Amino acid sequence: MTPLHHIGNFIRELVIQIPLWCVRILFLGTLIAVFLWVLRLPRETTTPENATHWYQNLKIWACLALAIQIVIYSIF
Amino acid sequence: MQTLASLDYAIILAYLIGTLALGLYIGSKIKTGSDYFLAGRRLPWWAIGMSLVATDIGAVDIVGTGGAAHKHGLVVGNFEWIGCVPAMIIGAFVFIPFFWRSGVTTIPEYMERRFNVSVRSALAICWILFMACNLGIMLLASAKMMAVHLGMTVDQCIYLTAFLVGIYTISGGLAAVVYTDMIQCIVMIGGCLLVLVLGIIDLGGIDQFQTELKKQEHVQQMKQDQKIAAEEQAAAATNELSHTSLILPADSNTPFPWTGIFFGLALILSPAYWIGNQAIVQRSLGARSEFDAKAAYVWGALLKNLIPVVVAVPGLIAFVKFPELKDGDQAFPELISYLLPVGLKGLFLAAFLAALMSSIDSYLNSASTIVTNDFYKRFYRKDASDKSLLMIGRMITFLLVVWAIGFAFFLKSDDAGIYTIFQTLMSFFQGPAFAILITGLLWKRATGIAAFIGFVVGVCFSILLFTLNQESVCAALGIKPLFQISDPFLYLSIWAFVVSFSLIVIISFLTKPEPAEKIEGLVFGTKSKRRPA
Repeated sequence: MTPLHHIGNFIRELVIQIPLWCVRILFLGTLIAVFLWVLRLPRETTTPENATHWYQNLKIWACLALAIQIVIYSIF
Repeated sequence: MQTLASLDYAIILAYLIGTLALGLYIGSKIKTGSDYFLAGRRLPWWAIGMSLVATDIGAVDIVGTGGAAHKHGLVVGNFEWIGCVPAMIIGAFVFIPFFWRSGVTTIPEYMERRFNVSVRSALAICWILFMACNLGIMLLASAKMMAVHLGMTVDQCIYLTAFLVGIYTISGGLAAVVYTDMIQCIVMIGGCLLVLVLGIIDLGGIDQFQTELKKQEHVQQMKQDQKIAAEEQAAAATNELSHTSLILPADSNTPFPWTGIFFGLALILSPAYWIGNQAIVQRSLGARSEFDAKAAYVWGALLKNLIPVVVAVPGLIAFVKFPELKDGDQAFPELISYLLPVGLKGLFLAAFLAALMSSIDSYLNSASTIVTNDFYKRFYRKDASDKSLLMIGRMITFLLVVWAIGFAFFLKSDDAGIYTIFQTLMSFFQGPAFAILITGLLWKRATGIAAFIGFVVGVCFSILLFTLNQESVCAALGIKPLFQISDPFLYLSIWAFVVSFSLIVIISFLTKPEPAEKIEGLVFGTKSKRRPA
């Protein structure tokens, strides 16, 4: 056994204790955090200079992509 | 095994002629090195976005992900979902606009501006090695599948695909790559969708598919239970069925436990790939505006949601139809042979060729860009004209095609899963590459010497971990393998990142800070420089 084995075993024992429902919350929490971050982005960073339509705002499409992810990770 | 009919060949031929014609037409408009490497910085978001997806989903993924899904279940979908979408969205609004404004041609070029020439060269060498090996892997993956259906030998298929992709990539550069990728993306998603729909219909609908999948999982579980000790049976019985689960326990006996997926894939490999992979970032550097560069990534992220459905789910269908299949990489070819009638088989093979070509052309073009810009122009001819760079770029692309053919033949004798080889190669340096990228972009105090040492030590550490996990090495040293899962490539990237990042932080504090004027516009929080016109 090398020192790397001891470190690896210690960490492995630690993460095995975490229940899968907590892990699911971690996955979903990460996606939700990115979703909220996108929502808070200033309009000038998500739209072209002379935007005239709502669909030119990238925030909408980014949120849609993340919302699909949130649904997927909630189900599977 | 079914053979192809005339109609199949006609469809494949029509697709190939169309792709070649488009590539050669674009090639006729290329006049300078800038046109060749960055498409004259005129690319629209919709073409880049589809090209990003087509590049990422190559033949390796169709064969490899289908095979991995057959073996391990839906968990491989993580590579396209949490392993892509969040990083693409963050990349779209934070990193990609930053690179676009800086006006660089390659990521290693940014590294020299931010750190020094040693960091640039070390990173460029790693990327060249990775891309060169990857080209061979892609060629072999395609040849294996084409040989099953076209009635040709694997060797002939390697030559055929190399010839086809080589012609339009040498001719048209990045623009040809992006626009042919766009068509390839449509054909590829359409073809895979076809296999998915026909597969589900063949199984009697979605409900029947789910029932059959659960039944098959029980059969596999029972077989496994017979092999394990009595005290482990109770624990195994309580385990949830895993073939439809995206999150697997940390002690799961697959290469994809949640720890690897979250820490290795989502937090390290994925952002390293989407903001640090030259083959990916290069096309957004060729965008016609900063908005187009951002929009391309968001569009790509939306498309990415669809990919596991069309690539991984057919692997699950094969799991139900051919549960005894020993080689996972044969899952997709078997499914096509079984499901598709005359005509549609030709359409799918065209889709497969599309997937193959879209990845190979991108890696060819990007490898050529790195060799030309980061080695030839940087060290040999600093004053090279734009026209001479075009000639050199084309010549290097040709040499890379020749190399890819040679490496594909070398790999033919190796029986390891295609997907595993690909991921292991990436994990050697992606963690350290991400560490220097993230510290360089976000931390003013990071120094060149720290980045260089952190990167080199991180790569060496990753290779050391890989070596200490090899059976022969463990037997010789009398130790147990370091990791308890098979193919621990995700863990390699985590530890390599941790070592690199820690070293960069420690050594940066021990060395002299970079001058403020040197890092201006290259680190977040410093005054932004507008890109050259």
